[in-house]
Amino acid sequence: MARDLAIDLGTANTLVYMKGRGIVLNEPSVIALNRQTGEVLATGREAWQMIGRTPGYIVAVRPLRGGAITDFEITERMIRLLLQRVGVSRFTRPKVVICVPSAITEVERRAVTDAARRAGAADAQLIEQPMAAAIGADLPIDEPVGNMVIDIGGGTSETAVISLGGVVALEAVRVGSFDIDAAIQAYVRREHGIAIGERTAEEVKMAIGSAAPTDDESQAEVRGRDLMTGLPKTVVLTPEEIRFAIEDVVSSIIASVVRCLAKAPPELAQDFLVRGMYLVGGGGLLRGLAPRIERETQVPVKMSNMPLEAVVMGAGHCIEHYDALKTMFMGARRP
Amino acid sequence: MIWVLVAIVVVVLAVLVIVMRKPHQEPGVASFRRHIDALSPEARREVMDRVRPPDSNQQEGQGN
Repeated sequence: MARDLAIDLGTANTLVYMKGRGIVLNEPSVIALNRQTGEVLATGREAWQMIGRTPGYIVAVRPLRGGAITDFEITERMIRLLLQRVGVSRFTRPKVVICVPSAITEVERRAVTDAARRAGAADAQLIEQPMAAAIGADLPIDEPVGNMVIDIGGGTSETAVISLGGVVALEAVRVGSFDIDAAIQAYVRREHGIAIGERTAEEVKMAIGSAAPTDDESQAEVRGRDLMTGLPKTVVLTPEEIRFAIEDVVSSIIASVVRCLAKAPPELAQDFLVRGMYLVGGGGLLRGLAPRIERETQVPVKMSNMPLEAVVMGAGHCIEHYDALKTMFMGARRP
Repeated sequence: MIWVLVAIVVVVLAVLVIVMRKPHQEPGVASFRRHIDALSPEARREVMDRVRPPDSNQQEGQGN
């Protein structure tokens, strides 16, 4: 008998929580395929290392974009392989709770549950990421007080106000940390005339990227391909340049937080001033983002203890208390 | 024999009366209570302790 699972099927990373055991898998949501035969060559970390470095017959792809499945068949194969790695087989069919963006469409919802069922799940239920994040961030959502959580993932940014175990206000945009990487790539191409890869852009973001000036700023050397000559070239990027490059993306994330604050009932809004808002998700780790949101909203912003694991921990809690919490699943509330 | 049957019927009726006299709880109330109780910090402690690194267990109680 397989143990039931909670899956955070993120655009960037997939995390799996096993009932009674904890997090058993944390890998990039990447799959490498043989373009000619369609065979899967690698998944997770191994496939991630191949991105942008493969020969012509291999393609390393992220089957999820903006929190949505862009390639149903590849996603299904990736989920099946991930489930196999945590012990799910044809004969052991667990119940599965999957975290998805709240802005997911009916078609996308069905695509995720179908992919999980075909991959070996006996039953697949969906839970909204901000709700799972609030549970996983250990916020007192069982009390009649306003809890605000901002989940910035690879492809989506979601802000939710939660009280008494339910979502009171919600705002989501299909913009996330991958858009920050893409903005850096586009800036370097436009201003310096060199092409850099997805992974290099991510490394630049992690090294010197920031949403607001910070105390410890340094420059970064970036190597890419000169668009004019086709030769390898090195340029030096400054934190100011990166802030300028990613400003549109950062502004759009902050604007969605402001819209969510505006939707909150006044009784709960006053709680935020005392309790603050909580940042979760990998995108929340961008330097200077918390102080920038704090400055623009006048509400304290705190970082969750485990920002990368909060969502899967929340879903894990739902799988541990499946019967009591099944009203939180998306199908239960939106028949 | 007939007295045994009568006794059984009487006992069943008595049990039914006792059960019916118990204060009735709305299913919605019970379900909501269960939902809220399952989200309490105590209920969540098990998952948090399972995932959280051992050295951070003492850091803070409710994440705020």
